[in-house]
Amino acid sequence: MNRIYDTIEPNVIDQEMLQKAVEEQGPQEEAGQLAKREGIDFKDVTELQLDFRNILKIDNLWQFANLTKLQLDNNIIEKIEALDSLVHLVWLDLSFNNIETIEGLHALVKLQDLSLYNNRISKIENMDTLQELQIFSIGNNNLTSLENVVYLRKFSKLRTLNLAGNPLCDNEQYSMFIAAHLPDLVYLDFRLVDENTRELAEIKYQYAIDELKQGEAQALAKLEEEQAKQKELDYHKAAYVEYLNGPFLFESMYAEDAEANKLAYLPGMPDLLETYRNKFESVCEKLFAYGLEQYEKRQAEVSTFYKCLQEALAANQEQGRKIILDFENQNVGLLEVVQDMSSFDMAETKLAKYNNDITQLSDTLMMLEMQTVDQLEEIIKDFERNIADLVSTFIENVQGMMAQCRDLENHHHEKLLEISINTLEKIVKSEFEEEIPDDVRMLFVDKDTIVNAVNASHDIHLLKIDNREDDIITKANSWQAVVIEEVHKNEIARNRSRVKEINQYIDHLQEELDNLESLEPVE
Amino acid sequence: MEALRENEAEEKEEEKKAFKIGDELQDLEEKLSKIQVHIPNIHEFDWSSVDTSQLPASYKINSAKEKMMLHIAANFRRQYTHLCPDRKELFLHPLNECGVEKFVSTTVRPTLLPYPELYNWDGCARFVSDYLTMEPLPNPIEPPSSLFSPTTIVKYQRGNCFDFSMLLCSLLIGVGYDAYCVYGYATREICMMDETREVCPLLKKSKEAQKETVKEKTEKYAVKPPRDLRSKFELQQAAKKEAEIQVAKQKKQEEEEERIMEAEKPKPDSLYGLRVHAWVLVLSGKREVPESFFIDPFTAKSYSTTDGHFLGIEALWNHVNYWVNMQSCLNGCKDLIFDLGNPLRWEFMLLGADKPLLLLPNEEEEEELADEDLDTLDKEEEEKGSDMPPSWVDPIQISLKEFETRCPQGKKVIHYKKAKLEKWAPYLNSNGLVERLTVFEDQDCTKVLEVTQWFKNREDLLEMRQVNKITEVTTEYFGPGHALGLKAHVYKSMNPETERTMEFYNETRVDGLRKRVENAHEMTEYFAGRSDFLYYRHTNFGKRTKRAQILVANPDANARPIMQIKECFHRNLEKPANEDVAERIFMISEERILLTYHLQENYITASKREFIKRADVDNKGNKIIMTPDMCLNYQVGSSQEDKKLIHLYKMMLKLMEEEKRLKHQVWESGTEVLEILKIREEEEGASKLTVSIYDTERNEKGKKQREAMERQMQEERQRQDEQDLDYLAPFIIQMGNTEKMTKWQALRLKEDCLTDFKYRLIDKANIIQLRFEKETQELQKKQQWYQQNQLSMTVEDEEAYIAYCSDAMFRIRILEMRLSRHKETAPQKYIALEEKLCKDPRLSEYLKLYA
Repeated sequence: MNRIYDTIEPNVIDQEMLQKAVEEQGPQEEAGQLAKREGIDFKDVTELQLDFRNILKIDNLWQFANLTKLQLDNNIIEKIEALDSLVHLVWLDLSFNNIETIEGLHALVKLQDLSLYNNRISKIENMDTLQELQIFSIGNNNLTSLENVVYLRKFSKLRTLNLAGNPLCDNEQYSMFIAAHLPDLVYLDFRLVDENTRELAEIKYQYAIDELKQGEAQALAKLEEEQAKQKELDYHKAAYVEYLNGPFLFESMYAEDAEANKLAYLPGMPDLLETYRNKFESVCEKLFAYGLEQYEKRQAEVSTFYKCLQEALAANQEQGRKIILDFENQNVGLLEVVQDMSSFDMAETKLAKYNNDITQLSDTLMMLEMQTVDQLEEIIKDFERNIADLVSTFIENVQGMMAQCRDLENHHHEKLLEISINTLEKIVKSEFEEEIPDDVRMLFVDKDTIVNAVNASHDIHLLKIDNREDDIITKANSWQAVVIEEVHKNEIARNRSRVKEINQYIDHLQEELDNLESLEPVE
Repeated sequence: MEALRENEAEEKEEEKKAFKIGDELQDLEEKLSKIQVHIPNIHEFDWSSVDTSQLPASYKINSAKEKMMLHIAANFRRQYTHLCPDRKELFLHPLNECGVEKFVSTTVRPTLLPYPELYNWDGCARFVSDYLTMEPLPNPIEPPSSLFSPTTIVKYQRGNCFDFSMLLCSLLIGVGYDAYCVYGYATREICMMDETREVCPLLKKSKEAQKETVKEKTEKYAVKPPRDLRSKFELQQAAKKEAEIQVAKQKKQEEEEERIMEAEKPKPDSLYGLRVHAWVLVLSGKREVPESFFIDPFTAKSYSTTDGHFLGIEALWNHVNYWVNMQSCLNGCKDLIFDLGNPLRWEFMLLGADKPLLLLPNEEEEEELADEDLDTLDKEEEEKGSDMPPSWVDPIQISLKEFETRCPQGKKVIHYKKAKLEKWAPYLNSNGLVERLTVFEDQDCTKVLEVTQWFKNREDLLEMRQVNKITEVTTEYFGPGHALGLKAHVYKSMNPETERTMEFYNETRVDGLRKRVENAHEMTEYFAGRSDFLYYRHTNFGKRTKRAQILVANPDANARPIMQIKECFHRNLEKPANEDVAERIFMISEERILLTYHLQENYITASKREFIKRADVDNKGNKIIMTPDMCLNYQVGSSQEDKKLIHLYKMMLKLMEEEKRLKHQVWESGTEVLEILKIREEEEGASKLTVSIYDTERNEKGKKQREAMERQMQEERQRQDEQDLDYLAPFIIQMGNTEKMTKWQALRLKEDCLTDFKYRLIDKANIIQLRFEKETQELQKKQQWYQQNQLSMTVEDEEAYIAYCSDAMFRIRILEMRLSRHKETAPQKYIALEEKLCKDPRLSEYLKLYA
């Protein structure tokens, strides 16, 4: 607290400091010698201690990607920063520093033990992601508000809390309040929270807690509901028929259609609109159901394919494994025997045979792989064809149903036109007696205007339907492309890795043999 | 028999001489021929000695209804013999043990016994076949002349096929089966209970296990097998050749089988088809019996109704009716139809009694009846239609002890084809043996192949022991709960370090050991359900060094040197496959450690790592910690060796640690084996039996306790009797001379006693009154005090006062009631005492005179 910058030179975390710390804290004795000879990679270090070093700024720690424990206590750090790459951190000690706000911790999702003791923090905040937190020490800080502690309720695993030395501890309700609001807490300020206090606290703050709980429960329920909804929507989206199980499409057709709203005032329109709407909706429902059904079918097809693929690969793996095991069993101890053999010629022939065997093994394995590739190619072709069939049928049927929608729209349009013209005639003859708003009346100045208006409405509707259809078709097509591409990509990757594996294995065998041969003349 | 053997021995000796002295030979032969040996007949049970004196009256006389029944039966028989003169006489009313004619249906006594084992037909049948000793019929082609009651049969535990069937039928009907006694004809094997041609049911292998449902699912995208490039013709030829060889082999086998069959074939039976037998028929319908079947009461086996062993049926009956078979038995029982309601097939004796499978009378069929007489017979029946009289037999009773003991003397032997089965009652043998099956190699049962023994209630939980006489291998099976979780033990000898297999209940063991196979050079352990995924450990032992053999005194130092330990692990899905060890081999003698990792997905080669422990000092005298060539790597998937030496070094340290631990583990396993062997030996020596706490008969401790309790109860009762008050005692003591009393003295005694009682009663009344007065006085006082201080009282005081008042009033009322009741009862008590005194044996004689 009373550090004076003039007298103490602030330090920077640099390579030298890190290297020294790592060496000091790394393996000792024999292993240490070994480590020293080889050098230690920072990414292998799991624990690091950088205390009493007058560090002002956290920096240059990004290399320690696997760090689980970091001690930066007793420095003069003013800001929590540059810790985002240390995602494996479990223990972080930042006590006895000059930190004023909690920040920069959101990436440390595995953090269990956090110490911010003896800093200048006045508010607990910005810790939402630390759901694993078990021990939290924030004593000797500037926390003043008891209400702020309620923030800690969201850490369901928090068992130990240290708040001693904060202004809020002077509040006589302090321990009661904490005990009531953090019911899972076991230790507070290094002391066990006894049952008695907890009971008393619970009674005292019952209402407040109940309210809190209710709020939390509601939030949770809402979240769950939303998630369920989202899940269903995702399911529908995957089937490309989202928002088709209701009047959504119909409503969207009329949403941007100003003319239609005006035309709705015409006599006979409400009825016409109602029947149109019902018919349209029923077609949409049909489309929706069909879409879901087709989706299930596609999924089933894909899963059958993958199942068969897995089976084939498992069989292939089994076969390959057997070949290799046979080979290994045959040649177990061969090299040792050869090494000990007295007759050079005998050894030579043995080795030649072994060499031969290796080549043969390589050939066998490669042949097996070729065969597998052929087999898989065949089934992939089948699969491709079936998927294409499925998608094209789906598209055709969707188009058919969309055509129905269009027919309905056309029909509606004709009816509307008829009504409009009739109305126009009536208005012209001044026989029209019903009250209509002025802007609607404006449409009926002459035939062109009304016909244009009706046509405009019709066009908007058709456009909407077309768009929806296009949307479904594009999505279906792109899905097909993605699925097929993935299958091909996987197969190529598999083939590559297998060939590489075989080569590597053969190389390994050959190398062993070569080592032996190079030894032979020496001996 | 011994006499015979002696004679034979004699004969041999004599023979030697006979060679020398020719003419004595003849003499000897003559002498020998005179000596005849009679094998004493097995003691035959004399049924005439059956004690009938204790039997109830119903056994000895016929009730009116029974007489009526006999009359009907006689009538039925008359008509039957008239209509079917060529058929055998019916088995209708044989004599019972008291020499009284009883109708067979009334001899059936449906009984439900309180043993759960007897609730199902197989349990009943097994019980009857075990419980009774079989006796052949006196005349194999005639039904017996008498039929005893099931109770007598149960009492003497022996009987012929009719007795067996009657008892079994009674039990089956008792538990609700639709069962019938059948009188008919069967093969000799069935009639004589000859099972030597049958394979022992215990040896029949369950064929269900063989059924393997291999369902080849032809999925849509299954890969096609690679094309077969071999010549079709060659394959065909090869297959043909194979088939020929197969056929030849089969033929040979068939011939062999035929030969064996021929050898085993029974001698032809001259009485085939004539042998009378009785068995039980269970009809479908009741007790969820899906199909009708026969039960042979001798062997407790069930047969289908079309079985070839049963050659014909004369009649059948249960406790309500009697049916005569009118169907042809030319084909044995194969064509018989058991619809007892059909009068064409089954001629019933009583109408009105319930007819199973009652068919609607078919008008046409009745008209078609050619035999007019049958019709009239029917009508007569209808007129006479009367219910079957109740059974004359007492309910069958079998005590728990008898039920447990089962066979007579608790032992039973059954001979099967190449096998012998012996059964004992539990607790009969001191080592708990209950069943023994001996399997022989040959038909004559001379060469033992295998002996299987079953045990019950043993303290060491041994359940079964199998000894294979050829391989000398003993297999023991234990129930759960044995020391160290032992489940089975296969061994040749009990010496340690010989071939043996031990199986364990791995659920009960901390280390999850399932099985341990051992011989002199290796030990294999199988594990299940371990958290470290270990499932297999194999240890190779080397030969003991000679020096070690000298040090026999210290057995621990004499451990076999361990050459190699191999461990296998299941896949731990939490680790990546490349870091999850599948197999590790510690080659202790070669100072090498071999690790093989699990296969990665879609990979066919596994990563490998080999550590070579080298001397710690290099040629310059520096300490070598770790060099790259101490570890040979084959890393799948990535070519570069990314592991640093330090990691390898750490790994090696860990492995060396592990090696030490494993050595210890192996040593522990060895000592465990020794311990088990020791325990087993001790147990075998002791062979104690356990007794369930629910077993009231044998639970000694419980019995003692119960007896003690009973004794205590009895003593208690006695004491109570003694404590019954003697009113006269104090007065008699007063009188002094009690031996002889004059009449006057007796009177005086009585008077004294009565007056004393009177005073007591009055005293009691006085006491009650006194208390009453005291209470009232107190209450009055309190009332006065209240009235005086009423104004200066607090509310609490007032409440206390009111509470006191109500309390006091309650007490007063009670006292009043008590007094009045006392007044009422006192005279009665007085009179009662007087009467009692009059009856007192010490006074009565004097008082009688006085009265």
